[in-house]
Amino acid sequence: MSRTLLSIACHEYATAAILYLAFLVRQWRFFAVAGRILIGTGLLIHAVALGSALAGQGGMPVGLAQGLSAVAFLLLAIFFVLDLRYRIPVMGAFIGPAAVAVLIPALLMSTSGEPMPSGFRRPLLPVHITIALIGIAAFAVATGVALMYLLMERQMKGKHFGVLFSRLPSLTFLDQLNKQLVLWGFVALSVTLVTGAFFSSSTDGLFWKWEPKEIATLVAWIIFAVLLNARFFAGWQGRRVAVLTMAGFCVLLVSFLSSYDPSRHLGVFR
Amino acid sequence: MDWLCIGLSHKTAPLDVREKMALSPEKIADVLQRVSNSVGETMVVSTCNRVEFYALARSTEKARGELHSVLSSLGGDNSLQHLYEHDGDSALVHLFRVAASLDSMVVGEAQILGQVKDALELAQRVGTAGPELVRTCAAAFASAKRIRSETEIGRAAVSMASAAIELATKVFGSLEGRAALLVGAGEMGELAARHLRSARASPIFVTNRTRERAEQLASEIGGQVREFNELHAALTVADLVVCSTASSSYIFTKEIVFPILRARKHRPLFMVDLAVPRDIAPDLSELDGVYAYDVDDIQRVVADNSAARAAEAAKAETIIAEEIARFVRSRSIRDGIPVLAQLRARADQIAKAEAERTLANLGADLSEKQRRTVQAMAQAIINKLLHEPTARLRELRPDEDANRLADAAAQLFGLDSGASPPADNPRPPRGELKTAGSGGSKR
Repeated sequence: MSRTLLSIACHEYATAAILYLAFLVRQWRFFAVAGRILIGTGLLIHAVALGSALAGQGGMPVGLAQGLSAVAFLLLAIFFVLDLRYRIPVMGAFIGPAAVAVLIPALLMSTSGEPMPSGFRRPLLPVHITIALIGIAAFAVATGVALMYLLMERQMKGKHFGVLFSRLPSLTFLDQLNKQLVLWGFVALSVTLVTGAFFSSSTDGLFWKWEPKEIATLVAWIIFAVLLNARFFAGWQGRRVAVLTMAGFCVLLVSFLSSYDPSRHLGVFR
Repeated sequence: MDWLCIGLSHKTAPLDVREKMALSPEKIADVLQRVSNSVGETMVVSTCNRVEFYALARSTEKARGELHSVLSSLGGDNSLQHLYEHDGDSALVHLFRVAASLDSMVVGEAQILGQVKDALELAQRVGTAGPELVRTCAAAFASAKRIRSETEIGRAAVSMASAAIELATKVFGSLEGRAALLVGAGEMGELAARHLRSARASPIFVTNRTRERAEQLASEIGGQVREFNELHAALTVADLVVCSTASSSYIFTKEIVFPILRARKHRPLFMVDLAVPRDIAPDLSELDGVYAYDVDDIQRVVADNSAARAAEAAKAETIIAEEIARFVRSRSIRDGIPVLAQLRARADQIAKAEAERTLANLGADLSEKQRRTVQAMAQAIINKLLHEPTARLRELRPDEDANRLADAAAQLFGLDSGASPPADNPRPPRGELKTAGSGGSKR
């Protein structure tokens, strides 16, 4: 059942993504409103699908398919909230297709993961996973915003006042939004690192095992820490920050995918 | 006498050529005086987008040579490659289109009409605008006004200043509470200041070479005056800078701005240069976080060729064609046969005098109807008599044949002047065309 629901949600997202792309070309309010409604209902259906799947697993997504599905959900949820708050439908043209691209492999993969070995059932684990996924989604949206910033800045600097120029929000707005998202993502990432270390020590007594996943996460954490410091204390902003955000997210992506590498990290999430 | 228009505009010449050619009114007066003897009736339209000579040339060849040498002395030999030329009626069409803002970078912008009026006024003051030039311009202005009222071409057009402010919102979003620095408190600066105030930018600093003018503008818009030599300090605080001075050299260069960026803690800096020649060095936008734009960039922002605008422009072109046709028709009547008007006036005079005399002889006991019949008869006789020659002269195109025939008529009937258009007559009918103080830009 949850698979059917997921498929419906995916179709809604895909339609919304097309509408948002159409909105880039022709700024008809209809596109934006229809996109918002589709994303909203899609999120509801998606929530039911995810909820029913997760209920039997102690409230955490298990396996890459569910992980991807959850990330897509969080991505769009963050976008949905931002759009309601700031009215930035143009962002849907960036986040929408990305979310669909994340969700499609989840749909294609088998969702019938084996139940997790009971030895890993710790109260911290759902918290660890959920917060990790929220962090990844926040950084993914921040990366989308950074991309929008770079595109907009290119138009402004290159003095090519094309379609994107008239549609994208102002540079300052994008920069501020990036700041917020990176800040929240950084908090989530920090919590993930700490809870992960505790979880790790509770299973095999080691806080830190120098696994690729741990290293990648740490590197990403350092990148974002440097970025935030530069922002708050050296007045960094704009292009440099946008590029750093994207770099940090790429490293984080390695960490995310390696969580699902069955040969490493005990394959807990398989 | 033939029309000739030679010049360059945003369509043919880049900004760095145009800024070299930007002429002050004194310089224009100088140039006009220099060419008027050899060329004929002349005026110069000089704005930040164009420098154009309009001449009613006695000899097109000679005028072309003279104007080329003037233009190359102003802008260097290179500038000749950017020139375009219209002659005869095509020059006329060009003048009408320019005045109606169809040739503008921002089609429909309102300033150009005032700028052409200023050009004519200057030529009249210098004495190089004869009656024909004045008449032609009056027709061009009338057609421009008709276009403004009958089409919506002006509606979408935004002034440069408001376009500049709009561009700033692409960097900052809302301008509320953003500090702005105005460098130059001329007409453009004032326009920008008003837009800044309505966008609720604050504080607004005003600098000007003459402090008095800066104080005046600052008090109007609730800004603060800064000395010209405090520019660097003001730049440290400002988010937006609007330049519109008449300075012939750059006020802001990379060397000046770069050290200030650090003091600004790398906050984005938006700079817009509404001046020609430019106040801001073009390489400034290479600096990280600096967004610098010149006149051309600003105009490109608003020059979006929306379908609606194109439709309005097409309507405007139709109006121009109509107005040109009307003007040419009335001109050919005027040009070819001024002698006819004289002839008719003389005949009318005679008819009236003879009728009066007859009526006096007949005594006072005539009815009103009878009096009118006598007057009508006298008028009918001269009408019949003049009908044929009038028609013949009107049928002829205004060329040499027509002139010869008109000359002959003048001699036969003992009228004083020849048939040539009254271009040799140097007094322009000033009263007919008082140009209103117009919203021209700084130049």
